[in-house]
Amino acid sequence: MAEPPVYQSARSAGLIVCGDCNKLHPAAMEGEHCDRCGVTLHSRQKNSLSRSWACLITAMILFLPANLLPIMTFKVFGRGEPSTILGGILQLLDQNMLFIALVVLTASIVVPVMKIIALLILLATVQFGLQTNLRQKTIMYRVVEWIGRWSMLDIFVIGVLVALVQLGNIAHIEGNHGATAFGAVVILTMFAAINFDTRLIWDNGTDDKSDGEKDSE
Amino acid sequence: METAPEHVIACHECDLLLHDMTCQPGQDVICPRCHARLYTATVNGTERLLALSTAGLILFLPANLFPILTLEVLGQSQSQAIINCAMSLFEGGLFLSALLILLFAVVVPFMQLITLFYISSSLHFRWQGRLLRQAMHSYQQMRGWGMLEIFLLGVLVSIIKLKDLAELDIGLGLYSLAGLILITTLSSIMYNPHQLWHQIDLHRNQSDHHG
Repeated sequence: MAEPPVYQSARSAGLIVCGDCNKLHPAAMEGEHCDRCGVTLHSRQKNSLSRSWACLITAMILFLPANLLPIMTFKVFGRGEPSTILGGILQLLDQNMLFIALVVLTASIVVPVMKIIALLILLATVQFGLQTNLRQKTIMYRVVEWIGRWSMLDIFVIGVLVALVQLGNIAHIEGNHGATAFGAVVILTMFAAINFDTRLIWDNGTDDKSDGEKDSE
Repeated sequence: METAPEHVIACHECDLLLHDMTCQPGQDVICPRCHARLYTATVNGTERLLALSTAGLILFLPANLFPILTLEVLGQSQSQAIINCAMSLFEGGLFLSALLILLFAVVVPFMQLITLFYISSSLHFRWQGRLLRQAMHSYQQMRGWGMLEIFLLGVLVSIIKLKDLAELDIGLGLYSLAGLILITTLSSIMYNPHQLWHQIDLHRNQSDHHG
């Protein structure tokens, strides 16, 4: 059996990698500007965890009004009720549009919920210094970061529908404030993901230990 | 002031220290620990970016000026461009949603094309490029916030939702939008910060010698 490889991080080698252009600098330059791209150098993103928690908790609170308040009102010949996100999906199911209902369900409910759960796991394990499944957590972060933007789908659908269906008494769609809350949830979870520094997953515990980090394959 | 050692790089996702290596076109350098893609070598990277961003800037006009959809019910018709989606939400009092559409479907994609055009043209034509730093920084910050492809999916969902209610005509704007999405996707794949920074370093050294 081969020895598991010993890894050394830039931080434990006394180096800072620029967050923007990836150039390496000596650790003494913490807080100064990168001489190539001019960005302020930080070994780890500043207040990464607290910023990420703040965005995530706000998103979790706003998730309630986003799903309970109506997002739009569709009126045909003066009749129609305001509908919530879930209501809109059920309506699509009633009209036998299973596939498109699944797309909207995924983008508007499954992805935000999974994203919030994934970020909770990431933040909690880093906060409490749990050192398990590091690579899986990194992959989870990448998926979260990539897929999160697709939740904006509903906001765009509302925009297109409200713009197109303005035919006075015949048919009329207007947006409601559930959409505002939903849009806020989406951007807040995106900000939570951006503020989370993936390198924290790989750091040994909460404090820097200068010996090499080990990862059991 | 001490300087960082040469021929060493660090993974931007897990901070692992690695030996720098040259890679052949078509090869990727992958972090052995977290499997992040560190960099790739692209052939004619700047020229491709220049071509793509020029095409994108041209396509941006019809995509935003022409209507994407026209709706017809009982002789009444309504045709709307992308910007109208933001405007009508704004008029309805949904300021945040209107702002999000305006930013993610119009402003950010346009700014991305402009910055890419600036970066690639200054490198290709060896212009001074005083704002290269800022342009690289802005492009880096904007990655992931241009959402044209999601907007297109939103238009498709809307078409399906409305198809029983009314006659829908697809406008020139939607076709241009599809082309624009192809361009922005390709350019974000082609965007290779490692190589661009390398070229910017060379570019600066040359202008220092001449100046």
